[in-house]
Amino acid sequence: MPAAQRAPVASIILCVDDEVTPLTIRKCVLEKAGFHVITAGSAKDALEILRTTNVDLVVSDHLMPEMTGAQLVADVKRMHPTMPFMLLSGVNDLPDGAELADEFLSKLEGPETMIGRVRLLLANPPSSR
Amino acid sequence: MMTNAAVGRQRSAKQTMTGFDKVNILMVDDQPGKLLSYEAILAELGENLIKATSGKEALEHLLKTDVAVVLMDVSMPELDGFELADMIRQHPRFQKTAIIFISAIHLTDVDRLKAYARGAVDYISVPVIPDLLRAKVSVFAELHRKAHQLQSLNSELERRVLERTQELRERELEFRTLADSIPQLAWMTKADGQVFWYNQRWYDYTGLAPGEVAASSVRQLLHPDHMDRVLASFESSIETGQPWEETFPLRAENGEYRWFLSRALPIHDVDGKVIRWFGTNTDITGQLRAEQALEDQAELINLASEAIFVRDLPGVITFWSRGSEVVYGWTAQEALGRNVQELLNTRFPESRAIVEAEILEKGYWHGEIRHTTKSGNEIIVASRQALKRDYLGQAQGFLEINRDVTEQKRTENALRASEKTAAMGRLAGTIAHEINNPLEAVKNALFLLKDHASLNPEARAWASMAENELMRISHITKQTLSFYRESQRPTQVSLVQVLDDVTGIHARRIQLAGIVLNKQFECEGLINGYPGEMRQVFLNLIGNAIEAMSDGGILSIRLYPSVDYRNGFRPGFRVSIFDTGSGIDPAHKSRIFEPFFSTKDAKGTGLGLWVTRGIVQKHEGALQFRSFSSEKGAVTCFSVFIPAETKVLRAKMPAQTSVED
Repeated sequence: MPAAQRAPVASIILCVDDEVTPLTIRKCVLEKAGFHVITAGSAKDALEILRTTNVDLVVSDHLMPEMTGAQLVADVKRMHPTMPFMLLSGVNDLPDGAELADEFLSKLEGPETMIGRVRLLLANPPSSR
Repeated sequence: MMTNAAVGRQRSAKQTMTGFDKVNILMVDDQPGKLLSYEAILAELGENLIKATSGKEALEHLLKTDVAVVLMDVSMPELDGFELADMIRQHPRFQKTAIIFISAIHLTDVDRLKAYARGAVDYISVPVIPDLLRAKVSVFAELHRKAHQLQSLNSELERRVLERTQELRERELEFRTLADSIPQLAWMTKADGQVFWYNQRWYDYTGLAPGEVAASSVRQLLHPDHMDRVLASFESSIETGQPWEETFPLRAENGEYRWFLSRALPIHDVDGKVIRWFGTNTDITGQLRAEQALEDQAELINLASEAIFVRDLPGVITFWSRGSEVVYGWTAQEALGRNVQELLNTRFPESRAIVEAEILEKGYWHGEIRHTTKSGNEIIVASRQALKRDYLGQAQGFLEINRDVTEQKRTENALRASEKTAAMGRLAGTIAHEINNPLEAVKNALFLLKDHASLNPEARAWASMAENELMRISHITKQTLSFYRESQRPTQVSLVQVLDDVTGIHARRIQLAGIVLNKQFECEGLINGYPGEMRQVFLNLIGNAIEAMSDGGILSIRLYPSVDYRNGFRPGFRVSIFDTGSGIDPAHKSRIFEPFFSTKDAKGTGLGLWVTRGIVQKHEGALQFRSFSSEKGAVTCFSVFIPAETKVLRAKMPAQTSVED
């Protein structure tokens, strides 16, 4: 296919959450917005996927057992300093370490806000330090 | 001239009146007839008449009895009168015995002389003239009697002198015993003030032996600080003769000084001249200590912040401590003598009679009572009351100690309320947090559902409705959760920034409602806190103000440096938000900070002001409001005070260096 007619390549988003149902629905919402979504059931799985797969952005829940989203963002940034990272939380407060994330979003902001912020983040990725 | 009979009568009268002692008159003559005639002549003298017919017999009588007068015939056969007189005189006992010679012969002058020379006292010639004989015998008898009386008087006198001496000796002993047994130290000085005697207690106290006492010893024992004063005043008393009294410390044997009240009185002779001084020193150390202890206790009572007072059985105040003056505002002068019930308008939790009966029965009572102070304020005091008895055990009145707990009660109530609020906030926060996760999933699911191609318009409408209701749930949990944040870090917040943000967010609504916005920021308002929460406080307050002015009005927002009047004048900032909207219904004023209280019917959650106040309290600030309504309209003002520095939030602030990292 000629490059001009080709649809833009869908960005790949890694979605991380320990709860299956919210994760699945979130995946569908992002897919509906036109993204390609890979899911991980834990921070550990997420790190494994990041080692082997090219990902454009990470959307992670914060409150997870074993390793929280805030802890994940530290590891991710160590591996890929310019990797856009969005931290979701059921709580409005910024947890410790959340400042490493490029975006912190309350789950209550709703799907439209989430999609808008994802787009914004992909359009303005963090520059490498 | 007195007749014989008259003399005799007089004598017998005298005898009965004065205790006349009969004396013995010895009559010696060899002729019994003469003896009889003498007896007849002398009988009327009323003395004892003893008859002897020979010198020998006369001697026997003399030896047996005390004879006042011997009447003897000069010429007797065996032993003549002169010889008998010689014998009598030789005996020492009879040397002074009176002898009257009677001579039957005509005597020569020589005989007379001879008779006198032998110690005879008198001489009578024959023929005997009865009156003469009686007169002579009577004189000698009287002489003897007088001599006898004199002698017995003498011996009486001697006896009395002995007795008196004994008495004095006993007195002296009594004095010593007394002087040594009194609890005082006692001493005596000469007229010049030189001490010559101390009692045993003085030696016991000073530890000095009687031999060691020198004139300067008092100087050694007197406390140096009092030496000059005491010595000067004693010298002054010595000069003037006025009684002396001083109080000073004296050193005891163990080196300790004890306080004495010292007194000395002058002792005068019959002419009123001072011959010596008698002094005593009374140990008053215990008394002084007891007085000191009493003073200390009185001082302690006055130091106490509690109101301490005493009332008698009818309720009249007899003691009023300094604490009472502070608590009730009445001075002791005003309170003493007044009835406590009338002065303080006491209100007991139960009837006064029951309380007083309980005190009388058990001896004490404690509980909370209400009093009215002088300025008319009602205060609550924690009261302890006890029965006061006199030394006979009779109930005399009541002792009362009252602590003002009004402020404490108020604080307790406020604390209880705020604890309740905090507990409720925590509970709500926890619930909201649990709701958030499924809520997001449902929201996302509805997002996917509402545009689904398979839905017909009606189903789509239902989905949309469900989405709208979910928005409300989100709103509630969001506001509730914002109150429950413990992991967030406080940071520096600019109140100007926050207020600009909030008015910016509301700019469209302000414009649409035709509201005139008047901002007056007098400072930057830098505080330590949570920016998101601060934003929420003003979003709520300004949002409410805008809502109250749907038909336009004036919204004034003022930020200025201020102090917290209610909390130790802490410096900080105050934001006042005035609106000219619909005002607050007076009936709602006490309820607007309650959770789930709303005047906006279905539109409001009833959590806005509750959360707002919670956030302000968390920042150690204060939130107040006022609302005035008149015919022209209403003015409502919400005032938020936030301290510039807070202890709680500061502790959570990260160190400056780690922020720069």
